[in-house]
Amino acid sequence: MKRDLLLMTAPVRDSFDIPCHEIGPKSAHPAAAFVAGLHGDELNGIFILSRLADFLNGVEVGKHPGLKLLKKVLIIPAVNVLGVNLRCRTWPFDRSDMNRMFPGNVSGETTQRIALAVLNATKNAEYRVDLHTAGTDFEELPQVRLYSPSNEQREAARFFGLPAIMERSISPVFTTTLMHAWQVWPGQSFLLRVGQGGTVQLGHCQQVFRGLVSFLGRAGILEGVHLAEEDEEICHFKQGGSKRLYAGKAGTFVSDCQVGRWVSKGKELGYIYDSFSGNVIEKVEAPASGLLTGIRRHPLLFEGDLLLRINPKP
Amino acid sequence: MTQTTETIFSLAMPYRETLDIRRTVYKGGNGPRVAVTAGIHGDELEGLYVCHRLAAWLDQLQLSNPAALLGQVELYPALNPLGLDTLTRSVPVFDSDLNRSFPGSQQGDLPKRLAAAVMTALDGASLVVDIHASNIYLREIPQVRINSEFTDTLVPLAQQANLDMIWIHGAATVLEATVAHSLNSRNIPCLVVEMGVGMRLTPEYCEQLTIGLLHLWQGLGVLAPEVPLPPLTHHPMVADDSNVHYLNAQTSGLFVPAAAHWTDLRRGELLGTIVSPFHGAVLSEVRSPVDGILFTLREYPLVYEGSLMARVMARKGGAR
Repeated sequence: MKRDLLLMTAPVRDSFDIPCHEIGPKSAHPAAAFVAGLHGDELNGIFILSRLADFLNGVEVGKHPGLKLLKKVLIIPAVNVLGVNLRCRTWPFDRSDMNRMFPGNVSGETTQRIALAVLNATKNAEYRVDLHTAGTDFEELPQVRLYSPSNEQREAARFFGLPAIMERSISPVFTTTLMHAWQVWPGQSFLLRVGQGGTVQLGHCQQVFRGLVSFLGRAGILEGVHLAEEDEEICHFKQGGSKRLYAGKAGTFVSDCQVGRWVSKGKELGYIYDSFSGNVIEKVEAPASGLLTGIRRHPLLFEGDLLLRINPKP
Repeated sequence: MTQTTETIFSLAMPYRETLDIRRTVYKGGNGPRVAVTAGIHGDELEGLYVCHRLAAWLDQLQLSNPAALLGQVELYPALNPLGLDTLTRSVPVFDSDLNRSFPGSQQGDLPKRLAAAVMTALDGASLVVDIHASNIYLREIPQVRINSEFTDTLVPLAQQANLDMIWIHGAATVLEATVAHSLNSRNIPCLVVEMGVGMRLTPEYCEQLTIGLLHLWQGLGVLAPEVPLPPLTHHPMVADDSNVHYLNAQTSGLFVPAAAHWTDLRRGELLGTIVSPFHGAVLSEVRSPVDGILFTLREYPLVYEGSLMARVMARKGGAR
């Protein structure tokens, strides 16, 4: 069932809403809440959640025999609705980052009011998942991000079956995010980072879609999911283990490497060309052996830009 | 006394050009070093003009009494040159707020490296003043904003800056990534000045601050005590989170002010209306919640539900 989280006026357009799906048995609070599109250009998450809503609505009307929703699921495919329509990462009116507005404020700025509505709708869920991508310049291997997690959270992160679980420290800016606002409430919170902004990457989306269904199965929310044996390919990377390579030279970066491959130290991963003369000015080589968990996709390089990240086998 | 303009940071861009951060240094004796930073947000121009006014004053001093510069003055008028040159608040391409990138790091992308270079350049300064000009939406009276963690060091300095208000605000972790917080937590005193409005100049505010900075520098021993300065004409009122009232729009539309910026208001007095361009009716009346001073007023007329239209400071204690 579609519900409006919030209805707001606009200066000259019609009023607008932030719609969500509520699927499954009626109850005061959802068992799982999924949020994407806090950034309007993070299309992988929006596509994954809209497809998940379609799938779970199908479960409800008996399209998938053998599957049954035991508890309520809340899905917000996109919070920054206008940003999606205008292909804008931030809130288009004042360019503020909607994931820097939490915990929100009922009488504050527009974006703080939206943040509060999102938090209120999701904070009581037992499991909460916020989907993101990298920016439009970079591609991330689909991964679960944990911020100073408990052991229970580390365990539950495996429910998604994604190839990488990455732990991160908390930065000062993190304190204004949805993920941080969730962490003061009982229950478990997860941030997924999936691919690159500005595009839908079907392979990544299918992998994460299967991950979310398997998560709902393992969490006891969706009954009848066929669960594969736990995938041995899940790597849990503790904080501080990443090897990042930054561009020593500016220019044009070209690489045909795919994220999710294991590479050995010294392997050739791409080239930097002088954008004017066309000369190769740097051969980019793997700084360590490990899993390629992220790589730059925008070819134009400023000196110092992040080229890639490799995580040695834990 | 010498004057030089030098590059403190240089970074290659994808196609041939380099990004350079430049400063102008007036070097006199071996007294204290002071610095002014501006243009960290590409849409804030007031501080650029203050740097020009200070440079003009120092040029004059160099002609009339060069021995009176006992220390060193550094002007950093354009910390975000790509943003300033392209009418962009953030750092173009990186789409990140440079004033959330401090203290930065030697490794990493442009905003991080730039921030680290600025921190290195400002190390050892006796006073840094970081000048901001609100944004394109709101107009502000000349004020100093101070994080409550640093009240003891900064309020006495701010009292002498010839500005109209000192706003002491609560500590927010997100603000730890600003240049001011990064400097203050390394015991380099940094005052944040907010005044005027984005993408415009307010010359009278700039003159007012220029005089305040010269007095501060004289007090620190950067300028000889006998150098004559124009008199201080402004004394600040003090605001904190207990006496500042925010007026956010009840509905969306066009905000039309009914009161002038920087005036006294009575409780209940009309300070503006919100109207619709489609209808003749007034959608919302905006009234002052207290007797006080209208120190922030919306400059950009379109508002969304929730947009900030004004801030009023209730008077407590002394009068203007």
